[in-house]
Amino acid sequence: MGRELNHAELQELLGAYALDAVDDAERHAVEDHLDMCRQCRAEVSEHREVAAHMGAGWMPAPEGVWDRIAGALEETPPAMRPVVSMDDARERRRRRSLTGPMRAVAALGAAAAVAMVAVLGYTIVDTKERVGDVAQSLEGNVARTAEAAARRPDARTVELKSTSGALTAEAVLLGDGTGYLVDANLPQLPPDRTYQLWAVVGQNKISVGVLGPRAGPVAFHTSGDVAALAITEEVAGGVVVSQATPTVVGVIA
Amino acid sequence: MGPLSDYSDAALVLAVGRWREDALAEAYRRHAGASFALARRLLNDRQLAEEVVQEVFIRLWHRPDRFDPERGSLRSYLLAQTHGRSVDLLRSETSRRRREERDARETAESAPDIEREVVDLTVAERMKDVVATLPADERRAIELAYFGGHTYRQVAVLLDAPEGTVKSRIRSGLKRMRTSLVDAGMGTSWDES
Repeated sequence: MGRELNHAELQELLGAYALDAVDDAERHAVEDHLDMCRQCRAEVSEHREVAAHMGAGWMPAPEGVWDRIAGALEETPPAMRPVVSMDDARERRRRRSLTGPMRAVAALGAAAAVAMVAVLGYTIVDTKERVGDVAQSLEGNVARTAEAAARRPDARTVELKSTSGALTAEAVLLGDGTGYLVDANLPQLPPDRTYQLWAVVGQNKISVGVLGPRAGPVAFHTSGDVAALAITEEVAGGVVVSQATPTVVGVIA
Repeated sequence: MGPLSDYSDAALVLAVGRWREDALAEAYRRHAGASFALARRLLNDRQLAEEVVQEVFIRLWHRPDRFDPERGSLRSYLLAQTHGRSVDLLRSETSRRRREERDARETAESAPDIEREVVDLTVAERMKDVVATLPADERRAIELAYFGGHTYRQVAVLLDAPEGTVKSRIRSGLKRMRTSLVDAGMGTSWDES
């Protein structure tokens, strides 16, 4: 593959890519593109769901495999484990796409990291950091999906505001009741408190999500004719019926 | 939260992110059978298929953040991993040698394969209907690519068709099946229990 593929050419490859039926150069080109193109990412996801249905067989998992997996996990302690910092395909792809001076800078960074690994033997990732990474990744995914959802013709954007207007949040609500809290600038609560998201349907305030002490991107589901969304501050774990004054409210036009 | 068996796949992966081995075990209980069946079907080699399953779940343990619940189910993610790894092996020289050795051994010993693939009949039956709606040339291209582990270029040679045509057939066939699956109410849902 001598030249860069354009968008249409990359799109044509998505089916074959999803079935692992492309060569290495094409795979790298598609993966670089997927990092930037939500539309193509969504298409690949759909192809992979179809492929998963095609391969919908099931056999009893062979005896002994779980024991081998569990044994491999025990080789490293649960709260601290070696992580090879270069083992990240996305990072590798990013480096590959760098050119000229940027590649040199990246190479210096890689060399430093390798040197550190050589000195320390490994880098330590603690449980908190890892959970944060996974949660952040899930939040990032929700945010991306919400952005894509906002462009759908049936999407309604809901601006939630406090009485003073200082606190705001934004949600996207789709025709099928799927919703996304996209963004919120609400202050972080102490660990024994939580934000809770409500949908106002008729006279009822229905809980659609306990958000935790920090209101970040989250997907939720509503049913019925939703007139407004509201976020309240509650005790950790949330409540069935809220007596609190909403922190922010947004009426759906 | 309640018992792990009640967790959604996304919650399960988050628990894996907290280094909970029991969460990985639950993911294994739900999906290892499907992963093994696919690897076995592609590789036709029990030992290699076991290695693939092992690798896929250890990878989930180390990199749970790679699973994106908004981009598909955990089942499809794990099967994509299984497929990718199986295809790598299928295309590797080592694997070819091992398969040849195994074939020779099995022929000599005439060892009966008493294992039988148990298929989720509902999904399989509906999927059969969905695949049947595909034009024959699209179906053949997809089957050779997915179950044969061939690249679209290799499929083009096998079918004696232009590469661009095969590429388009694979994509349009997948899109057609997607539409049929959604119509049949099988969009992206998998039984997580």
